[in-house]
Amino acid sequence: MNPFASVPSLNMQGQYNSPNTHKYSVILPTYNERKNLPIVVWLLANVFREHELAWEVIVVDDASPDGTQEVAMELAKVYGEDKIVLKPRPGKLGLGTAYIHGLDFCTGDFVIIMDADFSHHPKFIPQFIRLQQAYNLDIVTGTRYRSTPTPSLSGTRPGGVHGWDFKRKLVSRGANFLAATVLNPGVSDLTGSFRLYRLPVLRHIITLTQSRGYVFQMEMMVRARALGYTVGEVPITFVDRIFGESKLGADEVVGYLKGVWSLFTSV
Amino acid sequence: MARAHRVATYACVFILIHLLILFAVLPIPFLEPDIVDQLLPVIPWWLLVSFGAYSLASLGLGLFTFQDCPDAYHDLLKEINDAKNDLREKGVTMD
Repeated sequence: MNPFASVPSLNMQGQYNSPNTHKYSVILPTYNERKNLPIVVWLLANVFREHELAWEVIVVDDASPDGTQEVAMELAKVYGEDKIVLKPRPGKLGLGTAYIHGLDFCTGDFVIIMDADFSHHPKFIPQFIRLQQAYNLDIVTGTRYRSTPTPSLSGTRPGGVHGWDFKRKLVSRGANFLAATVLNPGVSDLTGSFRLYRLPVLRHIITLTQSRGYVFQMEMMVRARALGYTVGEVPITFVDRIFGESKLGADEVVGYLKGVWSLFTSV
Repeated sequence: MARAHRVATYACVFILIHLLILFAVLPIPFLEPDIVDQLLPVIPWWLLVSFGAYSLASLGLGLFTFQDCPDAYHDLLKEINDAKNDLREKGVTMD
């Protein structure tokens, strides 16, 4: 008899006739994502169903006024209350605490964090999972700057961005070079926030991080490396700002420099 | 020990060695003293210029190899459309 088709095997987390019995939780912090959330969830559901993976999405909504929570409840009716878990919060309390809040409700053993604005495409998640399983990594991060994964993996396409002009690319490369020289993080894309973490690893790192904003993502990666966790990278395509323009002001630059300095002196 | 402290420690050690050789406190076994006198004072400037050249080359290479992905954008727009239609059928209020 096929051991994977036995009753206990089918009732395991995997729930599929496949050797991958892990469950993958996606934490989506949302604020005013009423238009984007259904589509992101649709893309995620398709990817997970196509690759026969057990999954759940935890929507951490910071009291959005535009009806994000209502649309999340409708999605829970379509996909299942166990698959779309809505855990709202009373106000706009920040990204780091949103992850901590979401982590309390995770029933998976791997956590994926990503943006809900289409800049991160769920189609890369199976590649993250493949790399993680091939090398038993603790963290897999998406990189916009490389064309091949590290450690090596076949069947991936080069990374890239869409919607960035030359100035934006220059600033991005410059910022990354600065962070790489000062901090030596061992990853090519330090500010990226499309990552797969092992659950205990994420819990451990997140209790240590103190910054806020996108420096928070940098700090998590730097701390992970300092603690000796293994990290791999997969190239991703980053489609920036489907709707709307993004401006890079002097405040952001100063904030970034201060963030890099504080990481340099504290980790 | 934070990274800043490690870097500062290494920097102090190397600067100390450099100054000791410069002021002839430490001998260098296999080089003539006048060659050492010509080389040693310019080593810091050489390091600075090398780092500058490396930075520029790294930035230039990074910009040159920065990929664009127009296909990803068009595919994504199509998928957004498919998603909207599918979810509308399933009963989620879209737009």
